Amino acid sequence: MPGANRERHWRGSRRWHPEREQVSSPSAMPETAASRKIRKVLVANRGEIAVRVLRGCRELGIRGAVIYSDADRAALPVRLADEAHRIGPAPSNESYLRAEAIVDLAVEIGADAIHPGYGFLAENADFARYAAERGVIFIGPPPSAIAAMGSKIESRRMMIEAGVPVVPGGRDPLADAEAAVAAAAEITYPVMLKASAGGGGKGMRMVRSAEELPAAFREARSEAAASFGDDTVYVEKLVEQPRHVEIQILGDHHGNVVSLGERECSLQRRHQKVIEEAPSPVVDADLRRRMGEAAVQAARAVGYTNAGTVEFLLDPAGEFYFLEMNTRLQVEHPVTELVTGIDLVFAQIRIAEGEPLGEEFLRLEPRGHAIEVRLYAEDPFNRFVPSPGRIEHLRLPEGPGVRNDSGVTSGAEIPIYYDPMVAKLIVWGHDRPHAIARLQRALSELQIEGIRTTAPLFTQILRDEDFRAGRLDNGMLDRKLASGEWAAPGPPGGGQTRNIDGSGLADLPLIAAAVAHAERQEVVTSQPAVAGGQRGHWKMVARREALGGRPWS
Amino acid sequence: MELIVRHQEREEELHLERTDSGYRIVLGELTYEVDVARASDTIHSLLIDGEQHEVSVRRRKEGLYRVTSAAGISEVEIMDPLTHLARTAHGEDKGGAQHVTAYMPGRVVEILVAEGDEVEAGQGIVVLEAMKMKNEIQTESTGVVKKLLVEKDQAVEGGDPLFEIG
Repeated sequence: MPGANRERHWRGSRRWHPEREQVSSPSAMPETAASRKIRKVLVANRGEIAVRVLRGCRELGIRGAVIYSDADRAALPVRLADEAHRIGPAPSNESYLRAEAIVDLAVEIGADAIHPGYGFLAENADFARYAAERGVIFIGPPPSAIAAMGSKIESRRMMIEAGVPVVPGGRDPLADAEAAVAAAAEITYPVMLKASAGGGGKGMRMVRSAEELPAAFREARSEAAASFGDDTVYVEKLVEQPRHVEIQILGDHHGNVVSLGERECSLQRRHQKVIEEAPSPVVDADLRRRMGEAAVQAARAVGYTNAGTVEFLLDPAGEFYFLEMNTRLQVEHPVTELVTGIDLVFAQIRIAEGEPLGEEFLRLEPRGHAIEVRLYAEDPFNRFVPSPGRIEHLRLPEGPGVRNDSGVTSGAEIPIYYDPMVAKLIVWGHDRPHAIARLQRALSELQIEGIRTTAPLFTQILRDEDFRAGRLDNGMLDRKLASGEWAAPGPPGGGQTRNIDGSGLADLPLIAAAVAHAERQEVVTSQPAVAGGQRGHWKMVARREALGGRPWS
Repeated sequence: MELIVRHQEREEELHLERTDSGYRIVLGELTYEVDVARASDTIHSLLIDGEQHEVSVRRRKEGLYRVTSAAGISEVEIMDPLTHLARTAHGEDKGGAQHVTAYMPGRVVEILVAEGDEVEAGQGIVVLEAMKMKNEIQTESTGVVKKLLVEKDQAVEGGDPLFEIG
């Protein structure tokens, strides 16, 4: 982005640092509506992102408060916060989605600002507006930018006006199936039907011919109505074999908008990202500059401030098209942090205080390579059914280049009410092969017991030749799962082999269970019960069982 | 010690004898020398023919173990040959009512049939919701809904019985 950014006017050159107060003078603070020092932040979220934001607050010397539902009273964010406040019962709509109650709470406890994290109320313009009305800084973009980007049709129109490349297609809502057929004929098949209020793949249908279209239109419409309460659907050209490449941007309240480079998030299961990396294996400096410029234009078009992400589809020919803008901190923000050295939560808070972007945001080029995997409490070997429950034991990987953004610890209950993502594992390496090797090493150290997670799937993906060669596209994960190439059911039942393609011993579960069984038999049968002070193994086992603890077996 | 072990579709005889630092295990055509050290209540370091494997083994109930290793989670059933013999002689898998259990914890959001309804294999009976995902629990057999064991809005644990098809 150097070329893109050099012409910008910088009003401040102070480096953002926890000790900045010692080096900055108050007069350098520009007078804007948002210009105010933040001393206490209310984190309106849960899980790993609440932990992430609280960590940023503590590093900046800002008091961190967090809300919790009844299901999360003992969860990690509460334990790592300076203050925690109950917001309601477990179901989200009675707790983490209570926009007014959360803002009122912020006022009551004297929080200067609310950080929404991602999900829940993060992209709710009314929430941001209400916070502003009550005099609480919303750490994010202005409500108008959230609203503009929240509507796919509206944002598309604005992007076309701003000269940001978009996927060819009709800009208007489709009145009925006939209108859909007419619009599709104009942009030529294959096409994609999309819900205007959509997200997460709901209300989306791929259509290859005019015959398929009417049925797909009806399905997309009813799904959109059921999921979002809005059945508006539009049609656009399907970009085949696209990659998902997105640009992280930051905008301050002084007209500066910068690109922090791209993330590749093509590995998705049903439109949910699973693995993300930075930089993209196929984006060179020139493409990075062009995509960065387009993203900055997109952000400027809606008067964007704070952290945001402009998502693009990148086709095999290197053409890219605006997909949507996420008006919040992303789940996958750590990979950008690791290759740029920029702390995005610091940046968000400083921008919200009214500080201008400093020179360290100029000429950012990615250094090394970072990869993130999302650990979902889902069973990858059984149709990804949710696997809530108690984490009996957790050992997170450590060592060089490893970062864990986790919202859980040993003993944590994973509630049934919320998103199944429990933790993210992120690694940094000096190049992509090094990062892959580190991630494999880290996954080999990870132990999660009690719930099933997607970790074994990552072990398979990281061994895959296409993945290792960087040959990715948005349909790859679903394709390889459907074909059984990835996440075939556990160790094979039939046939006995010492190794299953290097991933371990097929007989291991049987051996381990037999050993445990034999040890238990020995303990139970061979030890006489000892009266008095000296406890026999047998008694220990009996005692632990009586106490409701979990004897080892 | 002679044991019968079951894992997924697989059922095998396993011979196990004590050695100085662990066990010698004969399973199918292979013999394993296993050195055992326990790192915590559940975590074991197994040196199998010198190769290190870290596993966690938790006893779920008598004879049923949950093994967690790098390859994932496995449920392994272990019984002595006499128990096994007694069970197969009694024909525990003989017809009768099919008890369907929840394969995940969650909340019952919908019940699609009533007691006494005739249902076909593959038909949805109960809808469970967990983590923003709805899952339809279907019957694997054709028959009559003998009993519904849950109510709408009830929370269930994984393994809880949901309904009986006869």
